[in-house]
Amino acid sequence: MARLRLENIARDFSDGRQVRRVLFPTTLELVPGQLTVLAGPSGSGKTTLLSIIGLVLRPSEGRMFLDEREVSALDDEQAASLRLQRYGFVFQQPMLIEGLTVRENVLLALGVQGQRPQREAVKKADELLTALGLAGTALVQPRMLSGGMKQRASIARALIKDPAILLCDEPTSALDAESGQVVMKILKRIAIDENRVVIVVSHDARVFPYADRLIKLENGAVVSDTTENYMAETKIKQ
Amino acid sequence: MVLHDRSSTAGALLGVVAIVFLVGQQLSVLFGLLNFMSVLVDHSGADAWVLSGNLRNVDAGNLISGRYLDRVIGLREVAWAEPILIGNGLFRTPDGSFESVRVVGMRRPRLVGGPWAFAQGNERALLDLESVAVDRLDLEKLGQPLPGTLTEIGGRRVRVAAVTDGARGFQGTLVFASLDKVKDIAGTPPGRYSAILVRFQPGADAEAALARLRAVLPECSVYSTADLSRLTRRYYFTQTGIGGSFGFSTMIGVVIGVVIISLTLYTSVLGRARDFAVMRAIGGRRWDVTVVVVSQTLIITVTGLFVGFLLLSVLLNATGRSAIPSYFPSFVPPILAIVTVAVSLSGSLIALREALRAEPAAVFH
Ligand SMILES: Nc1ncnc2c1ncn2[C@@H]1O[C@H](COP(=O)(O)OP(=O)(O)OP(=O)(O)O)[C@@H](O)[C@H]1O
Ligand SMILES: [Mg+2]
Repeated sequence: MARLRLENIARDFSDGRQVRRVLFPTTLELVPGQLTVLAGPSGSGKTTLLSIIGLVLRPSEGRMFLDEREVSALDDEQAASLRLQRYGFVFQQPMLIEGLTVRENVLLALGVQGQRPQREAVKKADELLTALGLAGTALVQPRMLSGGMKQRASIARALIKDPAILLCDEPTSALDAESGQVVMKILKRIAIDENRVVIVVSHDARVFPYADRLIKLENGAVVSDTTENYMAETKIKQ
Repeated sequence: MVLHDRSSTAGALLGVVAIVFLVGQQLSVLFGLLNFMSVLVDHSGADAWVLSGNLRNVDAGNLISGRYLDRVIGLREVAWAEPILIGNGLFRTPDGSFESVRVVGMRRPRLVGGPWAFAQGNERALLDLESVAVDRLDLEKLGQPLPGTLTEIGGRRVRVAAVTDGARGFQGTLVFASLDKVKDIAGTPPGRYSAILVRFQPGADAEAALARLRAVLPECSVYSTADLSRLTRRYYFTQTGIGGSFGFSTMIGVVIGVVIISLTLYTSVLGRARDFAVMRAIGGRRWDVTVVVVSQTLIITVTGLFVGFLLLSVLLNATGRSAIPSYFPSFVPPILAIVTVAVSLSGSLIALREALRAEPAAVFH
């Protein structure tokens, strides 16, 4: 199982004329077996932090370790191959590829080049779809599915390769309340039962009850980090 | 598992099909016209042509003296030499009107420089002094003269004895007749010809034989058949409006084709930038994405080429025996295919480079 450690990770963006710090030095340890929710107002840096954790964005400062290996300075291709091996992603929009069936979309995450899928892989994809309540949709085009079904298909895509780390950016924001609950239950189960690192970015309070750990960001800095009894927030910084 | 988005694939495919078809059709007309230009030379069956000095094209009118014929035949390398005489005349149609024709006179009995394919009748019909052959495609223009019809060209009596197939010149209607008849029609002084056609002995060294001809005929122009064909085509191409303007419009067609195909594939790839960003984010290497783009481009282009060529061959079959110039030399399809593939690949790879420039983090927004 994976363990992530962030040491003074910061990120600046420049708009051409001036450099703006959108994430102040942050030190965090992320462990498997719990659902971590990253919350905060819009623009507080949640996506930036998640992108750095997900190796799709490089930090401007600081270091990040994945199981003691430093991963904050990998080149593009090394980062891509690590993403392929260890990470699953669920985006705000399901981002399924039109023209491929639901099953092909799920299998896409296994080898993006598009070799002929192994029979076991197909079986696994179909099992995942069934487990996520999408039985019978394997051969359907994504546009035939509802928003909630698409998001669940994208979770199947993230899970097909048993990622140690599952990163989700606002997975419920495009969904109605009921579908949102279904998706959160699935993510929670994956974190706890399958002992993975699961990080969910959300500013939707309805997501918080599912969190085992709630990290709040404001203006690019962590303002609270509470485990289990997060309802009684202990402010760690003001 | 190659990605494809149906609507954009269909659009790109349609673009490739349309361009392959249009450019191919344009090229076939161009090559058809080129064939018309040198039709007599190409079908002469001769190895060399002797023309009056400084002539660069077989249709120019200067005549050559028959004295040279003996000199040519005297050479060891020469199997035979035959004169032809080309003149102009007015063909009287059955309804009494006149059509201007080019009359090609051949010497009996060999009839070198004469028709090579017949729709009705055969070469033997032309052995008669009065006999002429007109082309199938000109029958309507000439008032449908039935075989056996007696009429006049340039006021001289002729009998339509055969119908040729595909003898169509750039300079108008070709009628084949005997040498003496053409002499009569055109009023050429005796012992003068338009050209002497020479066939070398089997196994003779063509270059050496040509050199010998040039040595004994310093006053004449001596060309190999292939050279004369090229010169004639070039002459018409550069000196006449039709050849030049058609060549120009073909070139424009090709340029537009290149632009449209590369742009079509460029937009179709760029339109899927989001898909590629997703692939990158979930762990695809640049190489993986490139493989997907290249295979998709190849599928679209090869399918488009196939359909385009299919349509072209239908068109060529339909027009091949009509008056519309159309000819597709066998070296053209491979070149057209390679250029099309190269152009569509470069269009999509340029788009891909642009699409991959975006940070993979963009998928989170
Ligand atoms: N590529 C970028 N270039 C410049 N500025 C950026 C870039 N990405 C993010 N920012 C800025 O960084 C800040 C934090 O953005 P981020 O997307 O991390 O916020 P967020 O907490 O995810 O917000 P939201 O809830 O709206 O998604 C914002 O002010 C944003 O404008
Ligand atoms: Mg965000």
